Amino acid sequence: MNFDYTLQIVDGLKQLHLSGRLDSATSMALEKTINTLFESKQDRALIDFSGLSYISSAGLRLILVAAKRARQCGGRLILCGLAPTVRDVFEISGFLKIMETADSQEAAVALLQAA
Amino acid sequence: MNTTTVETDGKKLLLDYVMPSQVRMFKTLADIVEGAITDRPDIAFSTTICLEELITNTIEHGLCNAPDHSIRVRIVRGPDSLEISVKDDAPAFDPFHDAPLPDLNADVETRAVGGLGLHIVRTLMDEAWASYDGTGNLITLKKNFR
Repeated sequence: MNFDYTLQIVDGLKQLHLSGRLDSATSMALEKTINTLFESKQDRALIDFSGLSYISSAGLRLILVAAKRARQCGGRLILCGLAPTVRDVFEISGFLKIMETADSQEAAVALLQAA
Repeated sequence: MNTTTVETDGKKLLLDYVMPSQVRMFKTLADIVEGAITDRPDIAFSTTICLEELITNTIEHGLCNAPDHSIRVRIVRGPDSLEISVKDDAPAFDPFHDAPLPDLNADVETRAVGGLGLHIVRTLMDEAWASYDGTGNLITLKKNFR
């Protein structure tokens, strides 16, 4: 599989599930959807990386844009299910210091619902 | 695809692959790299991401997204390290010379979008340098086995 994503809204929480490879070629397909995650004040969303095997700087750029939009609208973004190799790329990029993560989708939902 | 295996001076050619200057080829390139470095998936992953970052840079900045150029990727395994090279036919440029370093301590609001690709290459590889031989740019990376 190259890349795929699904966006669900469950109890007011936007849940974006990514799978496959998010690279320079495939990230363009996600850009529009990323921009819809934070459109209203205090929107809450999670991005589930558990199906994602690879991410490069092209994908990281989109995640940073989402985090910026979350901050601007007073919302909250949680990244969850990062595989070790994907997590390493986030670590190298310094994103783990500025973005909120959870081990699993369930943990992310619990955090977002508690807010 | 051209893959050959030649052993000289304790070095082994793992991959010699010529790809078109198109980002849609990265999945194919990743599969080929993974197939060439089977015993170290961690190094295969690092190699794949560094190749993508450098080749994206070449395609966008060196070749202005022209899709009809060729980029040659070679991977040679030595006793203690991997040598990875990328050769293009773009005008001379050194991606490592003027690349701005990302501010890893900036918060979400002020963090610049972009500039991460070469940072990832510098972090994951032990050495990285570029040269121009009159026909194109040659970027060489070295990754030590640990």
